Amino acid sequence: MTTLLYTHPACLEHDTGFGHPECPARLTAILNVLRRSPFAALEWRDAPAAEIAQLTRIHPQAHVERLLAQVPRQGHHAIDGDTILSPGSGEAALRAAGAACAAVDAVLNGEANNAFCAIRPPGHHAEPRQAMGFCLFGNTAIGAAHARAAHGLERVAIIDFDVHHGNGTQAAVEQDAGYLYISTHQAHIYPGTGRRNECGVGNIVNLPLMANSGSADLRHVWRQDIEPALREFQPQLIVISAGFDAHYLDPLAELNFNEDDYAWLTGQILAVAADYCEGRVVSLLEGGYNLPALATSVAAHVKALMEAPKAAQRSLVKNILERQKAKRNAAGL
Amino acid sequence: MYEFLQYQVRDAMTADPIAIGPDATLREVEALFEAHDFNGVPVVDGHHHLIGVLTKFDLLKAFSFDSHTLVPHYDQIMEQPAEAVMTRDPVSVDQHLPLSRLLQKLVEMHTKSLPVVDNGRLVGIIAREDVLKALRRATLQHELPVHAESSP
Ligand SMILES: [Zn+2]
Repeated sequence: MTTLLYTHPACLEHDTGFGHPECPARLTAILNVLRRSPFAALEWRDAPAAEIAQLTRIHPQAHVERLLAQVPRQGHHAIDGDTILSPGSGEAALRAAGAACAAVDAVLNGEANNAFCAIRPPGHHAEPRQAMGFCLFGNTAIGAAHARAAHGLERVAIIDFDVHHGNGTQAAVEQDAGYLYISTHQAHIYPGTGRRNECGVGNIVNLPLMANSGSADLRHVWRQDIEPALREFQPQLIVISAGFDAHYLDPLAELNFNEDDYAWLTGQILAVAADYCEGRVVSLLEGGYNLPALATSVAAHVKALMEAPKAAQRSLVKNILERQKAKRNAAGL
Repeated sequence: MYEFLQYQVRDAMTADPIAIGPDATLREVEALFEAHDFNGVPVVDGHHHLIGVLTKFDLLKAFSFDSHTLVPHYDQIMEQPAEAVMTRDPVSVDQHLPLSRLLQKLVEMHTKSLPVVDNGRLVGIIAREDVLKALRRATLQHELPVHAESSP
């Protein structure tokens, strides 16, 4: 089984202005790495533009129309100090959200184990009624909603390991127990949400980390909070908001994850997916602003996705061994 | 060293220091730091009463990560008034404080300088360098002759 890569040249045409950290070169750096031989088995697919009906599962139609109408014919339009539109932004945003839906379709139709969407603009800060924080449409929430509405899934888990809290994704799903949203992020930075006591209807797990937290802290919250919550939820699909700005070289925050951490975390998520949903994982690019670190971190993440069958096998063997052990224990041996 | 014990803050401070009003912009403050190599500047109201201190540290802090924007915006931040980022109710010292005690305060607080007040009105700034200079002066006058006599 394969790993799919969804992307589109239109995502390079979203121009945020000179020097902006969320720049087209991020995507170029990623795609350059993914074109190399270790990734030859990736199946590249063009991201389609999302249909308006796919967006309106998360965003009110009037908001979608207003946002698309704000796209300038030339120059730039600033939604806020961080969030800039250029003439190419509308199509890029539609392709980014469309990638999420297409990847969900492909994975749920059994065309592949899993998929990575190399897209921009990112999405997890986009609230149902407010574009913000470099984000226009809530790609992750839109993909998760598509899985439920178009494929009838009852339980979709979202794991967001971007260094910033995904306020937009949380706002979109916090009233619906059919979603589980789990986020690790640095405490006290943008956007200010994501405290532990924000629990939604019991379906939100926020894990703020203090500045300078790193590999050991990630492993700790995985064991302590993320894995138990995921397993209890028994997801039918896992969607990842894959931001890489928690890397120790990233200029926008102060967590200290590295490439090995991203590979490890991806492997852990895949192992849970193997146990509950035949390994079905859709991962979407969010942040990551040191270009070399972004490229190597995405490479580590995608490599782990491509090696998923092995992880699934390991997990299966582990399950069998554990069941045998439990039987032996029950028999008093 | 005995001479040093006689000194008060007013004997060593820089009198009538440059000060700014609460609505000076951070851009103006930075220009001041650039021109004078100050580490900080006192902030006074219309009656020259000390209401705050704005240091390079406060200026840096204005640019640190917060929850309002993903990226701090230089122009927007530099247009802010001093009172938005200054340290309010700053520690200050009376001009009659013995310099030995002032030295103690600087050491304890790890601070580089303190504003000097007279009934709440700003009258000076006393810095690490001023105290070091006073120490040198106090020992030059009275201890050098002793050494001079003992030399061959
Ligand atoms: Zn981020």
